[in-house]
Amino acid sequence: MQVANKLSPFFENLNFERDDNTMVINFGPQHPSAHGQLRLVLELDGEQVVKAYPDIGYLHRGIEKMAENMTYNEFLPTTDRLDYIASTSNNYAYALAVEKLIGVEAPRRAQVIRTMLLELNRIISHLFFVATHALDVGAMSVFLYAFREREFAMDLMEDYCGARLTHSAVRIGGVPLDIPKGWLENAAAFCDKVDYEVEHTYEALLTENRIWKMRLEDVGVISAEDALSWGCSGVMLRGSGVKWDIRKEEPYELYPELDFDIPISDRCDSYGRYKLYIEEMRQSTRIIRQLIPMYKDTKPQLMAHSPQYISAPKEEIMTQNYALMQHFVLVTQGMRPPKGEVYIPTESPKGELGFYIKSEGEPYAYRLKCRAPSFFHTGLLQKLLVGTYIADVVTIIGTTNIVFGEVDR
Amino acid sequence: MRKYVPKDNVQAKSYYTDRFWVAPRVPRSTVEDTHFLAVVEAVGTQANETYVELGQLVIHINPKNNFEVMKTLKEKCGYTQCSEQSAVDYLAQDNEFELFWQLLNINEAKRIRVICRLANGLAIESIEPLYKSANFAEREMFDMFGIKVNNHPFLKRILMPDDWEGNPLLKTYPLQGDEFASWYEVDKIFGKEYRDIIGPENRDPAKIDTEDTKRFSRVGYEVPFGADISEGETKTAIEYSETFLVDYNKNSSKQLDERR
Amino acid sequence: MAQHQVNYASSAGLPIALTSVDKLVNWGRSNSLWPLTYGLACCAIEMMASGASRYDFDRMGTIFRASPRQADVMILAGTLSKKHSEFARRLYDQMTEPKWVISMGSCANTGGMFNTYATVQGVDRIIPVDIYLPGCAPRPETLQYAMMMLQKKIRKESADMKKNTKQDLTTQTGKRARLI
Repeated sequence: MQVANKLSPFFENLNFERDDNTMVINFGPQHPSAHGQLRLVLELDGEQVVKAYPDIGYLHRGIEKMAENMTYNEFLPTTDRLDYIASTSNNYAYALAVEKLIGVEAPRRAQVIRTMLLELNRIISHLFFVATHALDVGAMSVFLYAFREREFAMDLMEDYCGARLTHSAVRIGGVPLDIPKGWLENAAAFCDKVDYEVEHTYEALLTENRIWKMRLEDVGVISAEDALSWGCSGVMLRGSGVKWDIRKEEPYELYPELDFDIPISDRCDSYGRYKLYIEEMRQSTRIIRQLIPMYKDTKPQLMAHSPQYISAPKEEIMTQNYALMQHFVLVTQGMRPPKGEVYIPTESPKGELGFYIKSEGEPYAYRLKCRAPSFFHTGLLQKLLVGTYIADVVTIIGTTNIVFGEVDR
Repeated sequence: MRKYVPKDNVQAKSYYTDRFWVAPRVPRSTVEDTHFLAVVEAVGTQANETYVELGQLVIHINPKNNFEVMKTLKEKCGYTQCSEQSAVDYLAQDNEFELFWQLLNINEAKRIRVICRLANGLAIESIEPLYKSANFAEREMFDMFGIKVNNHPFLKRILMPDDWEGNPLLKTYPLQGDEFASWYEVDKIFGKEYRDIIGPENRDPAKIDTEDTKRFSRVGYEVPFGADISEGETKTAIEYSETFLVDYNKNSSKQLDERR
Repeated sequence: MAQHQVNYASSAGLPIALTSVDKLVNWGRSNSLWPLTYGLACCAIEMMASGASRYDFDRMGTIFRASPRQADVMILAGTLSKKHSEFARRLYDQMTEPKWVISMGSCANTGGMFNTYATVQGVDRIIPVDIYLPGCAPRPETLQYAMMMLQKKIRKESADMKKNTKQDLTTQTGKRARLI
């Protein structure tokens, strides 16, 4: 391989001198519609893709390696940076896996808050999907409208935890903060706003739009068997007619008590997936509305009581000797979960987000593997892109809804 | 005395462990009277050990017949999705890797984990013909651990660059990388001769170079770029703190009742 | 533009024409900074938010460009991994002079929380940086503030880019080298 440096740059973008009359074109890693740092090497026959090779790793930051060198509580803010569009879903998936390992359950108020935040993050993520997908396909105004609503959701997140993007709003064993005054009313108002805008702005602008339909219909078709075999999850799977949502099938948190529907589509194409994203936003607002009255009947406890693993509330630390000692040990040494291994899947906005944790009884995880949905959706691109035209490539990348913090970790 | 650091595992260790501390184990239950019984019967004698841990069936198999076991699980038991697969490094203890596959049965909402121990240097058979998701997952395993996979269609590094040295998730690989890693971008972009000029990486995020008067000068002691400060800097008035709020008048501004 | 000095002869400074060209050029440069959308990680989302409806960047003459050939300032938003570093340098080389760089977020500044084998510990190892914007992730307001700081910096600079000092690097041996 040629050693490239400043004096002899290495151009691999285009390669015309080939015998088989195909052109190799390089897409990314820095491309406005690559959704981060995806690099695609496409082999084209005319305008048709005959071979696609997704090259990833341009955002590899060694998060799994960091997990082996950090205590369990230290690692939690790092999970923010996995799927940075919906951070709380990562925090939650990680916290849930550790909670299963140490065998504690969050108190009910924490569960209500967590579920609300998860659904709020789902709305944020789906709004972001609609915005960027429309921008990639060419509808600039939808991007501006969707970001307008997304900012209101960010305001809610900010009111709760103080951060816009990297929330760390969930702790192992509960949540750190109670809901501030007036938050529930704002959340209810936000739900109304989202419902209104989904119907009157996005659906009005896109759903029956002729250009939108022509660009999306029958583009990126994936059959149910292929979707299962390639490890798809979330909307990618439901868009192919497989009824599978972890919130319903393997319920966690408060989802078994809540009333919501799982939309599925058997169109198997990008348009069907777009409709699912729109419908899921409605279901999320429905869930948040049900949770608001549930919050009012809960006791104010926010963190689980488990002195071996979780620090006591601040008042107890400040007043009781044993709680202070325990807190000191937990902060300086970290909790020591029992030996064992756990894999807990959750339904993040992108799909099945799971954490595999192997513990050897030390304060550091022996191995942590993050099962990221986008990783497998990126792998699917090498099948999905073959046979399509170059104009549809961006649509297909958009419809998989990949985010590169998660793909490369 | 210099602190002892074991060579075979350079990851962070607890600095204190009670001599009498024995780590408990997550409870494991037998497979009898669970809904996993049919799976265990289908796998039969190929399973070395089976138990249920935290609601999921765990099957230990020999690395040689991983493909047959997966095929049985996919075709007879309906495990149509391989949601995750990777390895755990046990080279320091047993000179082995522990490989795991996380399988999912969509119709019955059941998850199982297949585990095998693979001796260092041996290769595993690819399950890519059964589960296409293994295409990327096995490449990642190869990249991170250096475990070779037989009959994989395109076994190349996936996350690290092609010309990378070392397998990052091995326990012998330090978190902050070896020497090759620390000079990678300099060697690649400028060439090795620029190492002297650019200098080693600064791994201390709190480090402030007091000589670097352009980027990090102390507030209130700013000097022109390149000025000699070996004699100490002179204090200058902080300019912006006065001008920044000078026109701020609460009466003239209007606070919105609600966000628009 | 309004700050014209008329008594150049008495102050015995540079010729009057040259100084005002400096000001004129810098006024033009600083008020139409077109950034390259170089989103790498989390900060890219905040960069998008600053271009979108609430924190409308266009009103400041800042219009995101997708091509380095049309861009004046590179906003390096997010973690730069070692695998990506050569592309960052190549995009920087492809930008036309005059060019500036804003390093957005802790990861781009110093490597941030990712003190690992795969992350470049500060993009100033490979490209000279003008503005360091701290935060993880910085809010859109702070990106706008960084842009204003850059405008302020440009207005102080000479129109001849060769005269402007970029970042200097000190070697172990004490000799200084320039990273162009």
